[in-house]
Amino acid sequence: MSAYLLQAEDVTIQGEGVTIAPFSCALEAGSRLTLLGETGSGKSLLAQAIMGTLPRGLRARGRLVIDGETFDAADDKSRRALWGRRLALLPQEPWHALDPTMRAVSQVAESHRHVAGRDRRHAQQAAWADLAELGLAEAGGKLPGELSGGMAQRVAFAAASAGGAPIVIADEPTKGLDAPRRDAVVELLARTPESGGVLITITHDIDVARRLGGEVVILRQGQVVERGPAQQVLTHPQSEYGQELLGAEPSRWPRPAPLGETAQAPVVSATDLAKARGGRELFRELSLTVRPGEIVGVVGPSGCGKSTLGDMLLGVTRADDGKIQRATGHPLGFQKLYQDPPAAFSPHWRLSRLLDDLVRRHRLDRSVIPPLMARLGLDERLLERHPGEISGGELQRFAILRVLLLEPCFLFADEPTSRLDPITQRSTLALLVELARERRCGVMLVSHDPALIGRICDRRISLGGEPVSEVRQTLDPALA
Amino acid sequence: MSETLAARSTSRWASRMTTGLGGLLLQRLFQAGLVAWMVGTLTFVLTRSLPGDMAYRIAAGRYGHDMVNTSAAEAVRAELALDQPALSAYFGWLWDLVQLDLGRSLVSGERVVTELWHQLGHSLGLATMAVLLSLLLGPPLGLLAGLKPNGVLDRVSEVAASVLRALPPFAVGLILILIFSVSLGWLPAAGHGRSAHSVLPALTLALALAAISSRVARNAMADVSQSAYYAFSRTKGLGERLSFMRHGLRNAAVPVVAYLGVQFVYLIEGVVVVETLFAWPGIGHALVHAIVARDVPMIQGTALVMGLMFVALNTVVDLICYWLDPRRRSA
Amino acid sequence: MNGSTLTSTRRLFLPTLNGRQRLGATLLALLLAFAWLVPWLFDADPARQQLTRILQLPSLAEPLGTDHLGRSLLARLASAVRLSLGMALLSVASAAIPGVILGVIAGWRGGWLDRVLGSLADAFLALPGLLLVLLLVAIAPGNFWALYVGISLVLWIEYFRVVRARTRVLVASPQLEASRLLGFGPLYLFRRHLWPELAPQVLTLAAFGAASAILAMAALGFVSVGLRPPTAELGLMMIELLPYYHEAPWAMAQPILVLFVLVLSLNLLAGRDPR
Repeated sequence: MSAYLLQAEDVTIQGEGVTIAPFSCALEAGSRLTLLGETGSGKSLLAQAIMGTLPRGLRARGRLVIDGETFDAADDKSRRALWGRRLALLPQEPWHALDPTMRAVSQVAESHRHVAGRDRRHAQQAAWADLAELGLAEAGGKLPGELSGGMAQRVAFAAASAGGAPIVIADEPTKGLDAPRRDAVVELLARTPESGGVLITITHDIDVARRLGGEVVILRQGQVVERGPAQQVLTHPQSEYGQELLGAEPSRWPRPAPLGETAQAPVVSATDLAKARGGRELFRELSLTVRPGEIVGVVGPSGCGKSTLGDMLLGVTRADDGKIQRATGHPLGFQKLYQDPPAAFSPHWRLSRLLDDLVRRHRLDRSVIPPLMARLGLDERLLERHPGEISGGELQRFAILRVLLLEPCFLFADEPTSRLDPITQRSTLALLVELARERRCGVMLVSHDPALIGRICDRRISLGGEPVSEVRQTLDPALA
Repeated sequence: MSETLAARSTSRWASRMTTGLGGLLLQRLFQAGLVAWMVGTLTFVLTRSLPGDMAYRIAAGRYGHDMVNTSAAEAVRAELALDQPALSAYFGWLWDLVQLDLGRSLVSGERVVTELWHQLGHSLGLATMAVLLSLLLGPPLGLLAGLKPNGVLDRVSEVAASVLRALPPFAVGLILILIFSVSLGWLPAAGHGRSAHSVLPALTLALALAAISSRVARNAMADVSQSAYYAFSRTKGLGERLSFMRHGLRNAAVPVVAYLGVQFVYLIEGVVVVETLFAWPGIGHALVHAIVARDVPMIQGTALVMGLMFVALNTVVDLICYWLDPRRRSA
Repeated sequence: MNGSTLTSTRRLFLPTLNGRQRLGATLLALLLAFAWLVPWLFDADPARQQLTRILQLPSLAEPLGTDHLGRSLLARLASAVRLSLGMALLSVASAAIPGVILGVIAGWRGGWLDRVLGSLADAFLALPGLLLVLLLVAIAPGNFWALYVGISLVLWIEYFRVVRARTRVLVASPQLEASRLLGFGPLYLFRRHLWPELAPQVLTLAAFGAASAILAMAALGFVSVGLRPPTAELGLMMIELLPYYHEAPWAMAQPILVLFVLVLSLNLLAGRDPR
């Protein structure tokens, strides 16, 4: 018997325009492997090939050795007997992975009963013990719809690992979680290798990869670009792409040009704002100002009212209490960028038509469009497509083009790059900051990433948790 | 595509989900009151729109042409309150309805309630048989088809369902009669009494119901089998059979049962034509007869019972959904 | 620019049909051609009785044979299809237009108006549709307009509910908010954002609604409480020809087949049930 728990030899995946180059790895007890890459890099497909859950139309080839037993990767069904017992998969979006009509504890108990083979009473006890250990003692009786994203992640972890599988594959385990919850999940994942198992993590988050350590593989378009110990790959990448990817980390971004003179009248200022939602107070006595060209960051856990605050400044939502003063003379000067670019467009029309509508509605000067498009890196030909037919980054830049045509004085950017890949995120935000400075447009930027906010914002507002405070910071490097 | 379908199909009863059991029953009670008021009002309009000599004609229908005289016609006139001013007659009419005083049939002279009692038994028997038969046919077929979307079974059952949905129940009934009674002579075409009599009408209704419920079950199962939680249940090691039993069935059953409520519209409509076609002495048959004979009290009584039956069946569906889906209980 | 205007209109009013929908459209077109070409090509009166030529087999003079009163089945079927489709079109139009308008208003405005309109729709839903139609028909027996009013009253609710629910979601969506912030008015929002989303669903509902209208009329004719003889109506023809099944099975089969193809074509055209 070999010393390796899991070995993959020349695993390839093909079909439907997807090609994943041969991938091999050998993992002994206690080791960690992280597959790092952007959307479409094929990192999830590799995990699915190991499990045997590839979507129809895709075929895997190669050899897998799991616990000394050899499998043909092409035979999907051969690994099913290992599911839950030798191989565990932590699914993406745990919220959707839990049966919405079954209480949390039962979903864990059924793994103990039917996978680990305990009797009904012991399975129930074991499930409660698991939940208590994960700090979920009160959540056991709840339905998935009543759990938060982080809680659902832990319940899914308990359900997946109840069978005691030594090999755990986690597919984007931190997707949609904010920074503190992300760290908690990383800690949870680290238990498997610590107790002599193997952990394979698929992620796009460099920070997660760094915290997990072990071996890191950077994938791009189905090819392994670089691999090696996390320490080395994530500090001194050799490949060009690896360097680019690392450079896209907010802490390595160049600082924006200084704001300069700040004596100008604010574009929007709010005093003593208060808002409650669903009987819960979001914030109270919140005061802030945004000056022309200034970038103000807003951070806080999900559900703390970041978007609501921006919508109040725009006049889309009403405040419960307090006063908002907007700069006069700009009826269309208050604009917004959305988190999910395709959701901000009607999918049924060509971009050229939507742009034309705007030009005609406000009798805008058409001659400013081509240079601005060139500046934003938008090709003229994109205009002939529908919003769903171009990439998220391109569409977000088109959205920036659309609002800039109205010469806004205040822009509320609600996590505008959280759905974009790191490299695109960096270039998009850099452009946004540059244009805002140049056009003296005040920006309120929401993000769940404190490092990002710390890097490019002139000031930061943090909501939720502690009493609300406006931190007047001077680009504090400790935040980065 | 199928995901949006499920989302839409749940939106229809989403309003039911947000209220507790008490609110749910209260809503249904309100609906029952609304049914009674609508039926009462429409039948009242009907009495007022009867042509002038209607009282005579009705009396003739009841007592025979030779026996008709002014006093008989007057009796009819009084029964329908044709001699009173409209508004007071209307409130009188509704007041009788509230007291469940439905009057006497203008044709047979029997008390409407007595007649309804007999007819309801027949109709309920037929409807129960039809629903049970359709549940045996439709959902199991749909669940199997939904486990393998676009498989052979899925396609065959889809064609069968499309054909059945394009044929109205009376045409299905006619075809069944022509095959099983007229050509083969196996089953009686019409009438009532032996159990053989009920086979064709129940089958006719059941086929129409199963055509829809099989597709609803298929879509529900397809959604479930493609869902992340179904995949997770399999990868966590439960296996095909346990995943289906523990996570497939209940989640697929929720929309299927909820859709039964919509299906009862078809059931009520089907009862009217199928009973008439097979001369089945139920409520639907009686309603059609009463309309032809312009027997107003019977029209009111039968329409009322059918409307209330619809509400009652929907209440049962609500209760089953409530029991099936814990999300409603904790909401 | 002109080209793109053309394609976008096409997108709006004729959504791309899938295979089944195209089959349905073809069947429907054939029926329409049949119904409107027959009176042109044949001198056929659906009411003319020829008691010497009853229940005749199809021949050159009478391509579909004659019924129990010697009337031309070809003429009667064409007339019945015209009646069914005319009724369907009329009731669908009078249900869809107010249904869509009220649905958009209720979903957009919300508040008390939404609640009032919603309760009104719920009130109509309390009674199974056919029962409402039956009661209205009882008030005015054999009257085409009573049937039409009844069917339209039942049908509008579907449009209202579907459009209201969809509008409510869309009005709260980022795409609408974005356009509003960009300074566009309600008419633009409807044209660019709401209608493209609503149109396919409204068309689907319209096809299903037409099928239900046709079925309801036939069902009432079949149980003898709908339109009166000698009108050529599919349900009525079935019940009239039923006693002659032994002598003339082909005659009996014709209205059933036509009704089947009619409803099937509409169901296919409708695509998936949006409910």
